[in-house]
Amino acid sequence: MSILSALFLFAAGAVPPPAPPPPDPPAILVSRQLLASEHLALGDVIALSGDAKGSRAREFRIAGVYEPVPDPGRLGMVPLEARLHLPDLVALIADPADPAASESVRSISVKLVSPAEASAFTRDLTARVPGLLLRELAASDDSDVTFVVLDRFHLAISLVTVIASSIFLLALMVMLVDERRDTVAILRLIGLRRRRIFIQVLGEGLVIALAGALFGVLLAVVLEGGFNRFFQWRYDTALVFVRVTPAIAARAVSVAVPLGILASVAASWSLLRRGAMALARR
Amino acid sequence: MRAKVWTFALRSLARQPGRAVLGILGVAAVGALLFDMLLLSRGLLVSFRALLDSAGFDVRVMAADAPAFARPRIADAETAAAEIRALPDVDEVASLRLGSAIVTGPDGGKHDIFFIGADAETRRRPWILLEGSDLGASDSGGPPALVVNRRLATALLLRPGSELTLRGDCTRGSATAAPPVRFRIAGFAAFPFDDPKAMTAAARLADFGRTCGLDEKSDADLFLVASREGRGPAAAVRAIRALRSDLHAFSNEEIVARFQQVGFSYFRQISAVLSTITLFFGFLLITVLLTVSVNQRFAEIAALRALGFTRRRVVLDVLAQAVLLVGAGGILSLPLGLALARWLESILHAMPEIPAAMHFFAFEPRALATHALLLALTAVLAALYPMRLVSRLPIAATLRSEMVT
Repeated sequence: MSILSALFLFAAGAVPPPAPPPPDPPAILVSRQLLASEHLALGDVIALSGDAKGSRAREFRIAGVYEPVPDPGRLGMVPLEARLHLPDLVALIADPADPAASESVRSISVKLVSPAEASAFTRDLTARVPGLLLRELAASDDSDVTFVVLDRFHLAISLVTVIASSIFLLALMVMLVDERRDTVAILRLIGLRRRRIFIQVLGEGLVIALAGALFGVLLAVVLEGGFNRFFQWRYDTALVFVRVTPAIAARAVSVAVPLGILASVAASWSLLRRGAMALARR
Repeated sequence: MRAKVWTFALRSLARQPGRAVLGILGVAAVGALLFDMLLLSRGLLVSFRALLDSAGFDVRVMAADAPAFARPRIADAETAAAEIRALPDVDEVASLRLGSAIVTGPDGGKHDIFFIGADAETRRRPWILLEGSDLGASDSGGPPALVVNRRLATALLLRPGSELTLRGDCTRGSATAAPPVRFRIAGFAAFPFDDPKAMTAAARLADFGRTCGLDEKSDADLFLVASREGRGPAAAVRAIRALRSDLHAFSNEEIVARFQQVGFSYFRQISAVLSTITLFFGFLLITVLLTVSVNQRFAEIAALRALGFTRRRVVLDVLAQAVLLVGAGGILSLPLGLALARWLESILHAMPEIPAAMHFFAFEPRALATHALLLALTAVLAALYPMRLVSRLPIAATLRSEMVT
């Protein structure tokens, strides 16, 4: 049968028109965590309801999966979320007895052409539409304060660690100097001045401190991935917990190197101030 | 180990006082950090549990298993509370309604306060009365009673008997049409979950409803339940769940377990990481100190062996030195750790919405025991390598080499 004749038959009503396919359920996106926890898959049709009893449930098709924006303020809470088209959400949760329910939204996000004018925009809109609660996203809130406090806490812990490391370093340098008491005595006896030996001690301290600091930075870089992977697995989040930036590395080196030099000088001081004969136990 | 071993080890350390002092100080510093991390690992849980238990209620009932800001209220609360109260495992039920109110200060400035409506018929209260009188079941004429926290009293120059007008703001962002209500300050109270900046007031449920423009028999945010003595909170929770499957009942134990999983678990993780690092650091410090010390004393140790000291005796000497260093450092680390904990606590308490009575670092005897155990283990492990060096020291070869040198 040619296409033409088929069309003719269809037009004449000899072939019944096919039944329209049932409309596809509306598409939604689900978070990766929800997909995993409920063992869902792309294309699955699921029922959602606006209340815990499951009344007025509607079917939706999973069109995609998304990774929720990591939020440090919600660390430890598994984001079991779904994204719906606004009309679908309104139809799902609006109270049928309330005609205004389908006309209201909880919040409206606004992106300004010029973000610098956010405060002026907020003032203007507040004056024009009284009763609206406006908040600049860039403005500081409680979660900012939390992270400032955590930053201070980490700084305090680092300070204690530096103190402990300094004591360790000092102990090491004292032992090193003790071991070399006889060598220093001979150097002094053959005519080397205190200043010359002091410079040598300083140079050694610098080399050891630099090597130690660089090794520490390298160790931090190596451990960075492991720490992040562990905590990302532990909290099921894409947040980055540890990041060794050049600025942080420079800060660590700038603290460690002077401390190392200071420790070597302090340890050698008792040796350098003694006379050559005393050093040689004579 | 006998006293002679300890004395000998002590003398060995005293021969190099600078080194010994640095070793002890190093152990004290890492020990203090370790002690603090042990306190931090359970501090929030311990103090959270204490806060939950402080009011005497051991079960919480809510409408949904969701955070407070997103949780629906318990509908027809009066009926639900009466049903729960009638259960044989339940001793007492207090309904709570939470909201906000606005008050005007003496300077004309407006203050947002946390406003609580609570049952006044219960024996237990979700606050601790500090001064004045508590909310009674009813008022004998005059304005209704209100209890306030110290901070609110100080800010508004209040004292028991003074009066205060509240404008309710209890419907989560929607405006309240109810007129302002004048209250009489009955007393001052401490509310366990207040953060240091909180200004809090509590009134009877009926007065709360009137202030917020709500029906007297309307919803409740939370039921605080005290289980009957001898039955326990688990039995009360089971009975409530069987009675009302639409409500969510949790014992304090369950709430703490959940808090352990979600709330502030970051601090437990960081304390675990830092404890491991500090222990490794302490181990390294003691190993290096003892190894260098043993290396420098090879000739002396060989001479002692030649004089008749057994291998066991010289090995025990090294172990005793490690124990003395770690023991002295460990004891010193306790006051240092407590002082450090106070400093760190003051830093962390600047976090918003942390109740003043909640502590990040809480002392528990088990923390002290774990601290001692971990340090003892570190001392033994750190001494293993120098002990091995001493035990394998060839006496004749060492003495000969020393003589030649």
